[in-house]
Amino acid sequence: MLSYTIRRVLTLIPMLLIISFLIFLGMELMPGDAVSYMVSPEQLANMSPEKMQEMREALGLTQPFLVRYFNWLFGLFRGDFGYSLTNGQPIVDILKAKLPATFELSFYALLISTILGNVLGILSAVKRGGKSDNVLTVLGMVGVSIPEFFFGLVMLLIFAINLKWLPIGGRTMPEYTSYWQQFRHVIMPASVLGISMTAGVMRYSRSSMLDAMNKDFLKTARSKGLPKWRIYLLHGFRVALTPVVVLIGFRLPMLIGGSVVIEQIFQWPGIGDAFVAAVRGSNYPLVMMIALLSVTMVLLASLLVDILTALIDPRVRLE
Amino acid sequence: MNQEYIPKGRAKTLARKMDKIDAASQKPAKKKWIQNRMLRKMLSNRLSVIGLVIFLVILFSSIFASILSPYPPGQISLKDTLQPPSMKHLFGTDRLGRDVLSRVMHGGQVSILVGLGSALGAALVGVLLGAYFGYKGGWMDSLVMRISEVFMSFPQIILVLLLVSITGQSLANLLIIFILTGWGSVYRMTRAKMLSIREEEYVQALRAFGLSDFVICFKHMLPNAIGPIAVNITLSTAMFILQETSLSFLGLGVPVQIATWGNIINVANNLSILQSNWWIWLPVGLVISLFVLSINFIGDGLRDSTDPTQMG
Repeated sequence: MLSYTIRRVLTLIPMLLIISFLIFLGMELMPGDAVSYMVSPEQLANMSPEKMQEMREALGLTQPFLVRYFNWLFGLFRGDFGYSLTNGQPIVDILKAKLPATFELSFYALLISTILGNVLGILSAVKRGGKSDNVLTVLGMVGVSIPEFFFGLVMLLIFAINLKWLPIGGRTMPEYTSYWQQFRHVIMPASVLGISMTAGVMRYSRSSMLDAMNKDFLKTARSKGLPKWRIYLLHGFRVALTPVVVLIGFRLPMLIGGSVVIEQIFQWPGIGDAFVAAVRGSNYPLVMMIALLSVTMVLLASLLVDILTALIDPRVRLE
Repeated sequence: MNQEYIPKGRAKTLARKMDKIDAASQKPAKKKWIQNRMLRKMLSNRLSVIGLVIFLVILFSSIFASILSPYPPGQISLKDTLQPPSMKHLFGTDRLGRDVLSRVMHGGQVSILVGLGSALGAALVGVLLGAYFGYKGGWMDSLVMRISEVFMSFPQIILVLLLVSITGQSLANLLIIFILTGWGSVYRMTRAKMLSIREEEYVQALRAFGLSDFVICFKHMLPNAIGPIAVNITLSTAMFILQETSLSFLGLGVPVQIATWGNIINVANNLSILQSNWWIWLPVGLVISLFVLSINFIGDGLRDSTDPTQMG
């Protein structure tokens, strides 16, 4: 197991190096250089070329490309992610401020979609071919066809604007004293995100439950005359759970990538919101850093999934 | 030799029956209305027929928008701004007095073009690379595999937005970006399929005949992988249409001057329009959802009908 884990980690490293290199290349190719971002335009106009050269040297910009790349890479490990172009804020601080909001939103969304998707998927597998299965399958397809933002807008119109049950957007207010007041803000975005992610989970859990139901030990359980709920829940679901764990693992990166649109609609101050703003404002360092962060999360999540499946199923390790 | 045990009358009836059976087998089988098994199977799937009908209706009303639409899409009429739906304007008018229905019909052209174009482009790149390198193997194969891994380790929307921020917004850029971010999945699927087909005996026979790699791989192997590829193209068309609309909704997709479904619904970012002028954004949203749903129905039917494990 240990050697498998080490092997898996070793294949991850070149991938991360390649991607970070591409990202660095992207930043280098962007118009302008770091000096012009560090001084105000008036100063820049009055600055002598010698002074600028001096500043470039002080920043290490005259060094060879590869040296700069490794300097930058080691900077990342020290938490030096560079600075935002729009206000000169350290990118680390922006990420620190925005990540918790995105994690909060995505955590609830993941929770909703996992529970709902599994319950509906199992129901549909148990009643395979029946009316409820057909209805659920069609509903699932409707679910993946409606654009997230459209669903969000309709919910916003109904529950926030017309019924006024929930706030229109934002995450918190200065006057709030307890988490429960703040919780009202997360309900709608998390439900919209969660429900639109449910269809995929449902499809997956249905097919893995169907797989499990065809196994011999379930036939044995049935022929022993065990009650149905015991067969499905205690025996079937346990087997069907393995692929579901995998599915959740693969959805972890959705925590960052999945909520970009929803955060816009509900003005949720998270990473997705910051990312869109950075793309709009051509704030390249921030764009690249968030992209790098999300790639790292994807790769780590797939590592986690591989290790988990290897733990559950020993055959995987030998490959 | 059993004949003597059969009573005479019985033998006659038996012979008559045999004649009938012979006659039936001589007669050409009753001609089926549609010859193609795949198509026949798809048409017996109720959902995919519904999907096909909706798909064609929306497709044709977009393609022939310039003939069918009641007004030119960009016609500004300042005295008719924000009209609710009426007989004159079926979907009402927007803030500049433009007829929403006409805009939706014309917007469909661009949105469908982006969706279908990206799906076909991505499939072309993915299938060509996947089929050839899947068959050939070697270092080029592992190189392309690595490249696809790099692309696929980004969450799709993050990569798309990253590329948009580098290249800037335009219709052509968006198509290229979608192809660039979408070829990986087709490539992997085609490659996997080719790897399994490669092991079959007929391929070895073809190789023994000395046929060129190109002929073996594109003429003899690829047709056997075409089912899942067709399904993939269908489903990725749906995905790209959703992505185009999401990006345009964020204001980062197709430039705003060009009417697309996403750009039309974009105005709903404004709370007062969201609340009081539902006709501008609700119908477009429904059209997008219906269109994508119809494609998904078609894709599902296609999957069932091309699956060789469900022959019949």
